[in-house]
Amino acid sequence: MAVGHFFKHLSFTLSRRSMNPYRSQLILYTGPLSLTHCKQRHELTTPTSTKPTISLSSVHGSINSSYLSVRIRCPKHVADTLSEALLCFGASSTSMDEEDGCKNSDEICIDSTFPEFPDVGVCISQAADSIGLKEIPKYEIKMGGQNDWIKKYLESFHPVEVTEGLWVVPEWRTPPDVQATNIILNPKLAFGTGEHPTTVLCLLLLQGLIKGDEVFLDYGTGSGILAIAALKFGAALSVGIDIDPQAIESARYNAALNNIEYEKMQLHLVPGQTCPPSMHENGVGKDQTSFGAGPGLMPEKDKYDVVIANILLNPLLELAEHIVSCAKPGAVIGISGILSEQLPYIIDRYSQYLEGISVSEMDDWACVSGSKKRNL
Amino acid sequence: MSTLKEILTRRPVSATIRLTVPAGGAKPAPPVGPALGQYRLNLMAFCKDFNARTQKYKPDTPMAVTITAFKDNTFEFTVKSPSITWYLKKAAGIESGSSRPGHVEASAVTLKHIYEIAKLEKLCLGL
Repeated sequence: MAVGHFFKHLSFTLSRRSMNPYRSQLILYTGPLSLTHCKQRHELTTPTSTKPTISLSSVHGSINSSYLSVRIRCPKHVADTLSEALLCFGASSTSMDEEDGCKNSDEICIDSTFPEFPDVGVCISQAADSIGLKEIPKYEIKMGGQNDWIKKYLESFHPVEVTEGLWVVPEWRTPPDVQATNIILNPKLAFGTGEHPTTVLCLLLLQGLIKGDEVFLDYGTGSGILAIAALKFGAALSVGIDIDPQAIESARYNAALNNIEYEKMQLHLVPGQTCPPSMHENGVGKDQTSFGAGPGLMPEKDKYDVVIANILLNPLLELAEHIVSCAKPGAVIGISGILSEQLPYIIDRYSQYLEGISVSEMDDWACVSGSKKRNL
Repeated sequence: MSTLKEILTRRPVSATIRLTVPAGGAKPAPPVGPALGQYRLNLMAFCKDFNARTQKYKPDTPMAVTITAFKDNTFEFTVKSPSITWYLKKAAGIESGSSRPGHVEASAVTLKHIYEIAKLEKLCLGL
């Protein structure tokens, strides 16, 4: 079919221009791209303006994975089934507006994204075929505007008052209360924007714990928000670790935004290999090698006055021993990123290490805190 | 798919989004990023919520997510287990189905495979 051939050619041309060496894996979520490649693309799409605008030039990494945006037109009554079929046959996502822009009221437009291979036309016809549609729906491949979603996403951030006198403010907005403790953030694409209940719970915990001169470990630092907050509350030193290079980059950027000196907030990228409990049986040395490429890069044992790990249930369970080992005996450890329904697992796992366990909850989320037992 | 009553009593819906996301692996990158960012939904909240709720699944299992975006930029989502197609392909050890369904066979699965898949799906429906 001539039309199909045209689109085939189009997607092939795209692949020639793009220089991403990881595209053949068809994995859209992960895979670092070369930094120079990202920078070049940004120079083409970022508009110049003298007003303070969202700084896209500082957004790097996997957000630039290329994808095709396709608009498909089909009868309304098959839209849901077609969407699901499309996902089975290669689409990465489909969206349907409630009020569609299509002029014909019997038809609806499905906006979908596809990876660059395999051929979009083939996927659509296979999907249509699988649900018994007699004719292949008309579709249109849209080009460009791939960074629009990032802009829209970043625009949705507004200053958040975590508690009285504590605000988290996006870089491109002015703090509503200049007198308050303001944490300025450009979250980029790292976790920790200040709005999530778990971030709030951890910030409140920190505020209660930091009296001055503590050494704080942010285990899974993301955007660095907790590490920065600790320093603003009066801690002497914050150390942030994460397995995601984008997080470390984001945290470094945010530290600079808040005028924090390099020595006061140390950030380390640690390998993502989680340490299975059985490794501890072979001795302390084995435990440490999976968390650092060399001396000085891993969080040291028994060093921190306050440790907070706001991540997810599974890593929290697997890394329990490591998280606890970093804290001084008697130090407070905060655990979050868990749903209230996951509390029993965390309490069960950590009760051997912590005493005086208390739980705070917000919406469906929980934060557990306790002091490290002295005689471990 | 909402009833009239639901429409009258609930927040107005702006869009329905469907995605496949690996369990515990949602990140603000394509396809999650563009799909949700388009409607100004809180990407981070979705990723964190989705990752926390899919901790019980084997990491990186592709989950089918349906997100309902409301006009006030809030959203709800439901997570379903992988499609039967995915289980079948995994059991058969192939990446994609036959290029000519009904004419050309891509691979084969055993009856035991089908029994195990059915058990898993039954389990997921019960969750």
